Amino acid sequence: MEDHAEAIVKQALKAGAQDAVAEVVVDRNYQIRFARNEPVIVNEWRRTVGTVFLVYNHRVIAGEVTDFSRVSRTIENLVKAAKASPENPDYRGIAKGPFKYARPSVDRKILALEDGSDHVEAAVNGALEEGAKECAGSFWRYHTRHFLETSNGASGTDERVGLYLSIRALVSLESSGHGVSCATKASQFDPDKAGHKAGRIATLARNPKGGAAGKYDIVFDPLILGSLIDQSGGRTSAYLVETGFSPYMKKIGKKVASSAVTIHEDGSADTLARRRFDAEGVPVRKKAIVQKGILKTYLHNTSTAKKFKTKTTANAGLIAPEPFALMCEPGDWTRDELFEEVKDGLWLTNTWYTRYQSYVTGDFSTIPRDGIFHVKKGEVVEAWKDVRLTDNLIHLWSSVKGLSKTAEQVQWWGEVDVPTMAPYALATQIGITKSAM
Amino acid sequence: MADPDMVDFAVEYAQRKGATYAEARYEQQASETFVLKNGVVDSLIYGDDAGIGVRVLAGGSLGFGATNAKSKAGVRATVEDAVRIAKSTKRKEPIVFAPEPAVVSNWSVPERMKLQDVPVEDKIEELRHIDRELVDLKLKMPARYMLSTNARITKHFANSEGSRIHSYSPRVRLYYYLTLMKGNDAEQCYRNFGWSGGWEALREWRALDKVLEEARTCQNALERGVKSPEGRMDLVVSPPVAGIMAHESCGHPTEADRVLGREASQAGKSFITPGMIGDKVGSPAVTVVDDPTVEHAIAFYLYDDEGVRARRRYLYKEGRIHEFLQNRETAAALRVRSNGASRATNYDREPIPRMANTFVEPGDYAPDEMISEVKRGVYMKTYMEWNIDDKRYNGKYVGREAYLIEDGEVQGPVRKTVVELTTPMVWGSVDACAKDLDLTEAGFCGKSDPGQALDACLGGPTMRLRNVYLR
Repeated sequence: MEDHAEAIVKQALKAGAQDAVAEVVVDRNYQIRFARNEPVIVNEWRRTVGTVFLVYNHRVIAGEVTDFSRVSRTIENLVKAAKASPENPDYRGIAKGPFKYARPSVDRKILALEDGSDHVEAAVNGALEEGAKECAGSFWRYHTRHFLETSNGASGTDERVGLYLSIRALVSLESSGHGVSCATKASQFDPDKAGHKAGRIATLARNPKGGAAGKYDIVFDPLILGSLIDQSGGRTSAYLVETGFSPYMKKIGKKVASSAVTIHEDGSADTLARRRFDAEGVPVRKKAIVQKGILKTYLHNTSTAKKFKTKTTANAGLIAPEPFALMCEPGDWTRDELFEEVKDGLWLTNTWYTRYQSYVTGDFSTIPRDGIFHVKKGEVVEAWKDVRLTDNLIHLWSSVKGLSKTAEQVQWWGEVDVPTMAPYALATQIGITKSAM
Repeated sequence: MADPDMVDFAVEYAQRKGATYAEARYEQQASETFVLKNGVVDSLIYGDDAGIGVRVLAGGSLGFGATNAKSKAGVRATVEDAVRIAKSTKRKEPIVFAPEPAVVSNWSVPERMKLQDVPVEDKIEELRHIDRELVDLKLKMPARYMLSTNARITKHFANSEGSRIHSYSPRVRLYYYLTLMKGNDAEQCYRNFGWSGGWEALREWRALDKVLEEARTCQNALERGVKSPEGRMDLVVSPPVAGIMAHESCGHPTEADRVLGREASQAGKSFITPGMIGDKVGSPAVTVVDDPTVEHAIAFYLYDDEGVRARRRYLYKEGRIHEFLQNRETAAALRVRSNGASRATNYDREPIPRMANTFVEPGDYAPDEMISEVKRGVYMKTYMEWNIDDKRYNGKYVGREAYLIEDGEVQGPVRKTVVELTTPMVWGSVDACAKDLDLTEAGFCGKSDPGQALDACLGGPTMRLRNVYLR
């Protein structure tokens, strides 16, 4: 496969491109989806796909190669299209290699796994033992191999493996809980724990009553905090800042969160997204996006970094910079201390459907799902339903009072796109709305 | 191996390996996407994805394998994967499919300006022209983002019951996002148009006029907009707003796989249960349909990805829950027949029940006539923020372009009108629909795991809701 990547770059240069990047990905992922406590389908993929990024006289074009017997024709077509396209004056080059990369090992036990049924069973049984009636979710064995070559001397290979399980447990339609388990080593994988957590929350959420609108102090469980970290981390991409999809425009060096909050981006960390290099071949590394509440950097590739007069943060995607993994630094509170601080507030365990009225101001709402709990004097007094968190992203992060001492890795369908290390968090006076009667 | 031969081979080989049912879908998606970022052609992205997906029933379970390998050996390995993983699955009850006749068909969507024949530079120039006209408005617009994509989708479908279906479906989309500012005050707008057909789409949409009008209304809101009134009043919503309400508060809750709990962990379940067919959910003025056969609407098709003939589905009829969106698996579970709603985003995903073109059926009113009967209310033409809970009961739609209505007349702009209502409240308040059906609005509908963001039409007619709480 190295040969394919190399051949694509050579062909691009021969066709007249000045810059070229090729990455060939071999995908051997496997998945079990389950619902109503049993598998509903098992999926397995065998795909080998090349992506190409090339620049012809400041014209930027990207494409894909799915038939490697037609590389030269594909590249010729791309260059022809590039010639017909206007220049992109914002384009300022790709990174100059060669680079040396770290050599993280992969767990061969994960590669050897051919049947994930036992993991699904463990999670479902865990939830049922807690009192859940119905479970649904998915189990994944991730395995991809990556071969990257650039016209600027970067060349690397990577192998990424992981295990993931997501389970939603329900006692009834309105009483549910969610748990996830993420691991890059089979020994760390704990679907049983995820199932128990989902089941426990679902059971605690029995007989919910309609919630009340107002301003509340809220304890965020790691899964929902992961969604908020994802919202913030993703919107620090320089590309999103430039296109109006971010509340962080002109905010470098400014306060965007409370001083309790530090968020790093780190593709090299031991998460499901662990990798050796970004899409330009630059070795990935840890960097603070928000440090003690201050916005430190946008996420950059080489081109956006030059435009912003800084250095790449090693976050290149095919076209735009993006986060690979996000880490919210734990705080110095215990989970119990966070709850004890809540006199009359809420504990939210999950959310979905986050949407903005204005990305530049950060006005948004999101819908808590699964367990929503009314907390008084640190204790759960009842389960709620049918409420919406309506606030502002910067206000919410600025209202964080404390974070728990431990964080866990979360990732979840649609809301937590990249693997995220999230602690429990307490934020004060957050807006809650509900449907009008 | 030629593509039709490949699907035939896959189906035949799967049966030999022990599948009691097998289907294979070869799909090629050739696409061009170009992005205009603040007037600059930021990138041109060519997609050329092709492969085969094989779904089998073996041992009472479903297995799905997908590959982009073109060789017989590659297809053979994928078939073996699908049969093996299905057989290794333990279920209490076997999965069965509702019966369907074998179909042989070849369908396509007409293109007046064939996508393949229009040079990419001409396509890009049309977008640049729109952008130049935007700049000529001389408004303070710090961010302009436009994305246009066109795709040519070719499929060969075969199953072990004798169906053989070939299709060609060209699709065009325009998505834009504008940010306008006045001092520190910002107004952002977003639209997404879709079309099944050729490059004539931009003219059919009147894209230039709409983008310029959108920018002007943002500016108008910044200069003249006042806080939206709070309290109970009437609400008149335009086709895009009626479209998103139909999608979120009718289409999703009537997807049979959600009703049955198969999506519980992802897009969620539904407040509707199987026994609620015939239950009241709105006023008699409300009929919501999902119709893949509307020519040129973004989600047009004649046969679904299980080879079932498409037809108009009456999801809510005269205010009552009428039918669900079904594939063959859910139809068998609910003891009905599939209504041809099964779709996948590409060869590498399983087909599941999906909305296509979902809209409120138009009525007899003219939009002006509807407004003239409103004493006090809001006319919401577009929205920005919206969401709904995963049981599809509590929805929220926040106005972008909206106006006060007083004594039957449209007055000045009001900002951020919040409609936060339950599904029965939305549909129970509708008393009239207009005849101005507009199905150009489009969206990406998200569901399934791995995610399948699929083309969906989000249009409709102008619609009036009486006496709802707004803020």
